[in-house]
Amino acid sequence: MKFKLFILGALLSSCSDDFLTKVPETVVSAADFYKTESDFQQAIVGLYNPLRTLYGTGLADAGAWSMGEMRSDNTTFSFNAGNRGYADREYVDLFTDDANSGATSNKYNNNYIIIGRANQVLRTIDAAAFDETQKNNFKGQALFLRAFCYFDLVQYYGDVPLALIPPTSFEQTSLPRSPKADVYKQIIADATLAASLLPDPSKQIKGYVANGAAYALLGNVHLVLKQWTEAENALTKVQGYSLMSDYAAVFDPNNKNNVESIFEVQYLDEPTAGSASNFAYNFLPILADPGVIPGFPSGNTNSYAGWNTPTPDLINIYDQSDKRKAASIGFYNGEGYTNRPYIKKFTHGAKIAPNTNDNWPVYRYAEVLLMLAEAQNEQGKATALANLNAVHAHSRTGLAPIASTGQAELRELILKERQIELAFENKRWLDLVRSGKAVAIMNAQGAKIRANPEAYYYPKGISPVSGSYTVTESKLLFPIPQRELRLNPDIEQNPGY
Amino acid sequence: MKTNVYSISIRFLSQALVIVLFSCVQLLAQTNISGTVTDDKKIPMPGATVTVKGTTTGVTTDVNGKYAISSDANAILSFSFIGYKVQEVAVAGRSVINVELDAQSQNLDDVVIVAYGSQSKHNVTGAVQTVNQKELKDIPASQLTQKLQGKLAGVQINQTTGIPGQGMSVRIRGQASISAGSEPLYVVDGFPITGNIANINPDEIETISVLKDASSTSLYGSRAANGVVIVTTKRAKAGTSTISVSAYTGIQQIPQKGRPDMMNATEFAQFKKEVAIENGQTVPDIFQNPEQYGEGTNWYDAVTRSASIQNYSVSFNSSKDKFSTSVVAGYFKQNGVLLNSDYSRYSLRINTDYKFNDKVKVGFNAAPTFSSNHTPQSDGIWYNSPSIVQSSLLTSPLAPYKNADGSIPLNTNGYGTADGPNWYNQVQVVKNKARNSGLLANGFIEIEPINGLTYKSSINIDLGNSVSDYFYPSTAGNVFNAPNESDVSRINASHGNSLGYSWLWENTLSYQKSIGEHQFDILGGYTSQTAHSETGSFSATGFPDNKVQTFNAAKTITGGTDIQDWTLLSYVGRVNYNFKQKYILSAAIRRDGSSKFGVDKRWGNFPSVSAGWIISDEAFMSNIKAVSFLKLRASYGVIGNNNVGNYTQYASVVATNNPVGNQYVSGKSIAGLNNTALGWENTKELDLGVDINFLNNRINFGYDYYHKTTDALLYTVDIPISSGFFNFATNIGKLAFWGHEFTLSSQNLRGNLTWNTDFNISFNKNKALALGTANAAIFGDNTITEVGKPLGQLYALEWLGVYKDQADFDSSPRYAGAEVGTVKFKDVNGDGIVTNDDRDKTVVGNSAPKAIFGITNSFTYKNFDLSIVGAGAFGNKIINVSERFTTNLDGTFNVLKGVSQRWRSEEDPGAGIYGKSKANTTGYERDWSSSKFIYNANYFTIKNITLGYQVGLKENKYIHGLRVYTSIQHAFVFTKYPGGNPEVSAAGGLFSGSDYTTYPVPRTFTLGINFNL
Repeated sequence: MKFKLFILGALLSSCSDDFLTKVPETVVSAADFYKTESDFQQAIVGLYNPLRTLYGTGLADAGAWSMGEMRSDNTTFSFNAGNRGYADREYVDLFTDDANSGATSNKYNNNYIIIGRANQVLRTIDAAAFDETQKNNFKGQALFLRAFCYFDLVQYYGDVPLALIPPTSFEQTSLPRSPKADVYKQIIADATLAASLLPDPSKQIKGYVANGAAYALLGNVHLVLKQWTEAENALTKVQGYSLMSDYAAVFDPNNKNNVESIFEVQYLDEPTAGSASNFAYNFLPILADPGVIPGFPSGNTNSYAGWNTPTPDLINIYDQSDKRKAASIGFYNGEGYTNRPYIKKFTHGAKIAPNTNDNWPVYRYAEVLLMLAEAQNEQGKATALANLNAVHAHSRTGLAPIASTGQAELRELILKERQIELAFENKRWLDLVRSGKAVAIMNAQGAKIRANPEAYYYPKGISPVSGSYTVTESKLLFPIPQRELRLNPDIEQNPGY
Repeated sequence: MKTNVYSISIRFLSQALVIVLFSCVQLLAQTNISGTVTDDKKIPMPGATVTVKGTTTGVTTDVNGKYAISSDANAILSFSFIGYKVQEVAVAGRSVINVELDAQSQNLDDVVIVAYGSQSKHNVTGAVQTVNQKELKDIPASQLTQKLQGKLAGVQINQTTGIPGQGMSVRIRGQASISAGSEPLYVVDGFPITGNIANINPDEIETISVLKDASSTSLYGSRAANGVVIVTTKRAKAGTSTISVSAYTGIQQIPQKGRPDMMNATEFAQFKKEVAIENGQTVPDIFQNPEQYGEGTNWYDAVTRSASIQNYSVSFNSSKDKFSTSVVAGYFKQNGVLLNSDYSRYSLRINTDYKFNDKVKVGFNAAPTFSSNHTPQSDGIWYNSPSIVQSSLLTSPLAPYKNADGSIPLNTNGYGTADGPNWYNQVQVVKNKARNSGLLANGFIEIEPINGLTYKSSINIDLGNSVSDYFYPSTAGNVFNAPNESDVSRINASHGNSLGYSWLWENTLSYQKSIGEHQFDILGGYTSQTAHSETGSFSATGFPDNKVQTFNAAKTITGGTDIQDWTLLSYVGRVNYNFKQKYILSAAIRRDGSSKFGVDKRWGNFPSVSAGWIISDEAFMSNIKAVSFLKLRASYGVIGNNNVGNYTQYASVVATNNPVGNQYVSGKSIAGLNNTALGWENTKELDLGVDINFLNNRINFGYDYYHKTTDALLYTVDIPISSGFFNFATNIGKLAFWGHEFTLSSQNLRGNLTWNTDFNISFNKNKALALGTANAAIFGDNTITEVGKPLGQLYALEWLGVYKDQADFDSSPRYAGAEVGTVKFKDVNGDGIVTNDDRDKTVVGNSAPKAIFGITNSFTYKNFDLSIVGAGAFGNKIINVSERFTTNLDGTFNVLKGVSQRWRSEEDPGAGIYGKSKANTTGYERDWSSSKFIYNANYFTIKNITLGYQVGLKENKYIHGLRVYTSIQHAFVFTKYPGGNPEVSAAGGLFSGSDYTTYPVPRTFTLGINFNL
């Protein structure tokens, strides 16, 4: 009998490997993926996906608008006395944010998620056998997004870990911060290669980036590095785009990926997909029923809202005849509000609350013209004025051309034009930083708010918390998220946090 | 392959059957014997069992203790009764045999159920504790684990919430893992179940063995590290035939203690009035005259009730000749003390054995159950919506839950607190119900071809099926989100179903042999188990109204299905040896292969050894009369924990779709990293124990010391996001646990009045020796686990009251936003600034109790019996997270009465506990977790008091052993903890010690009756 049991055991162990192998039936294993053109087609779509969160999905999250606009003098927030649960989002505006801020981890994490996915694609795509044109297109997109994300990181955090290959072991998952110069070197290399691999806009499916996006990015990078000639070179290669005749139409969800659009974050209000945007709801005043704003359905209070509210200072710099003002800023009267401004540029209603169909513009041709103007002006080239006027005096603005002027004055005019033309597109804070004006302007802004909190949307009797708007050079960078510091002992926090 | 296995097994079994059929049964001359069985006070004992030793023949005594039986004239009769020593008497040709049974204290010949078999208590060398059904039967609780509270040394059983049918946490020897769970393995009649132990009717249970150390659990290998609870169900006793009925019914009430002391309407209106004044705002009309409101609505009372509980079970046991069967049918129904909550269970168990002859036995057991429950979403903080218990507390007491005309308002808007629903309505209109059916069944054959050698083969199956439905009507609503009946877009529903099964095929061969004074007991076996589950979860929106609540009324349905499988292939072996019943050795091993682990680490060995020495049997002890028994025990072993996802080892590529233009396009992304070396958690455990009985076993004392280290913890460890990934599933870290366990049972009084005491206490400690990435601390909501420190310490800012005046403010470190009159915290790192992060957060308490204890006192006097069970813990702290909101200063919520003593001005600083209510300054006190909310969680709870009366029914032909009793469950809680339930958190793990408000645990009064027919 023992012998028989032994046989039984032997038989069973011979097939035990089969018995003990259970692979998941509901997902694809990574070992079986990254092989075919279709695999990479899907992987590229997966690369774009975290951009939605990066720029602002979720009613209670802080999208890129928080660090890109609310930090600046363009916008602030409407103090929400009835619900203090979202106060974390105020800290970025007040300069009281720290390493626990939701805004900083949203930016840091989503950039690195995209980088990680891009690394996975770039690591595996050369070994896959399929059509070279398609392969170049995919590689170009992965390189562009990797460069774009590192550019976002390096501008907001300074030195950052530079991961370029996917980790294959636990040990490889911790990297130190690389010097800014190395990060920029990689960004320029990736963007340059991407520009050479990506097709012209006319040959790319709308919604995916074409070579124009890579050149625009490259120009932007050189501009930040004050490499004016290289910037001009790259920016002049952005071809195949033109300005829309109507300013408001640029942002209309009916005109997604229009002729002016070089790169925009794609959202869709398809009810079951969970891919809708909802920043427009966040930007409205707090309303018992957002249905009072044209285009929005009646529904629940948006008690989480009141963010990214245009400041009186921004409102005042618009020329009275500038048609872009009405297209950019709306005013609401009612429910105790008198002329409460809100961002209108991205406000196009919703079919089902709170799901909107608005895309987020990242690069559009108007900015390329302004960047070109800047690069040329810094080199003392006269062509700068024409490029500024191409935006400023376009028929859609209703403004007269700016007459010839000196280099210093033109520098200021270009900066102001950027503030207006690109208002609420997350450009202002970085413009203040690279123009060296951030510390002075934001301290002055704090003083203005403190002097008259009600003008800055505080309820009567409430003013900014003590210690807010104390802006020093160290506040030009944001804090590395707390989680990263805990997990990576090689990483030190930016000074001042 | 499967066919191969079966064909071989069938051939093998049929051969075995042939062998046994040829063996023959001897027939011998019979003689009739009769007599009376009495106790030591000569009182006749009805219902005692009389069997002929070595046969299946047996009878029970009648109401007068009389019996009649026939047997071989040379046979031995065995007399037994629960709680009395078994007596064996040789017939020796007599026809009348009267027997007096002695009450037993602790019978060392008791058989203890252990892994893959049983052992006499005398010979047990591991740390095993048993509880039999007699100790549990009167406790009115739906779950087995509830009944065990206070009975087991070193086992912390917490009732973390009062939700009917849920909420028990069992932790043996302070066991903790980062993420692989700490609940023990439940083995029912030899079968490690995959379903929920709560589905088993406790009335079906005969005994429970709790295996605590590695030597007693190592035969369960990779699943043994959290300890093993072996449940053995009832089987009929030889020669008996009984029908017994037990029933109880009762009422549950929420004790006054533990109810939150919220402001009444006058106090709240006054509070709102003052907040308005302090903020320079106009006082709204409704708060102008607070006195007019009186008490207002007590929301706690509005959503709770007194509720009924009832339990009926009928069991039929018969064992005559070759056939033995035991049937238990049960019905349990508990209405919850929160409106619209209930739990009910129907259960049936049939255990049947058939003895072909003295060589072959077969058995079939089947236990179907069906349970259903309504479970409103009661627990948690209000923002984890809807969290009815806390959310209702935060609602204005000015708001009525019922209008004067009897109508039910939908919302509580306009009464000063955040817009929200009428919770009295909300709790009743939201549907959340589940139904579960299950079947636990097995069949076995046992063959003893030669004396001492037993082959056993069993097939076991655990089948479960559940369906859950949720419907959220537009009339429901939530905090900050009042219902709007006409807004049908809010209506949503979800539906879940699952089908799961697990089967186990087990073959063991055991051999018992004595050679002189050497006794051997050898076990070898092979088992294979598979588990499969299919689940679906779906949600629906787009309902036109609240009328039809099923999915066919919905416009949009989303959801998906999942499939999970695991397999386990194992070999077990054990040798028990003793010499003269005095020197005992045991060695055991299990080899497990598991589908859950990476190809590089698929098989593991789990060995253990143990030894015992019965010193009291040594000659040199014979003069020490006071010591009736003394045993030393020692054991060491390696056990595992395999509680990890079935496919964690595989990096998967998941759908990551994205819009492109106006198309929604399929996308994919890699969701993790592969780990082919993923394996089980490894625990090495040492146990040293001693058992001493004094005064002829009248006082029994036991002590165990244990020390265990767990390494290779299964943990999805956080990694820097700059890697592109948030985490990596791996084996990492090392934890140590050690402790002391004491048990004492004593017969304090004997005679007319008897009094027994059972007491246990255990002291458990732990420490993290290594952790994840860079040994980075592991954080929970309010906890930190750091290398070199105890697990899961409470971690928050250190609270120092309020900045009471300008001088205090000027001389103290501050945070951005601090003002005179706002909350004050300690600047732990001394940088002059208070920050709500690691710089100033610090350890503010330990969530693990220093000691846990239980005490049971039982008394009998004539026909009365009384038992009192208590359990407690001390030395741990709880952070009452709920209080952050029930003391919120900005007037959005109703608050505790104490908030009236808040800071108003330097001249009127209040109690120094609550800051000022000025807008934009209150968030720090509320949102920054601090030691302000930390409390001692010491408690002692009288879990159960039962008073019973044995009704003397002399000469009644139909009813025997009628007993009536009354019982109070959860009778008194002695604690200074101000929250609702000091057991709220399964204490001692990495993430415990936080009170987020839970369903109240009720006090239950019952009346019960037991009788036999």
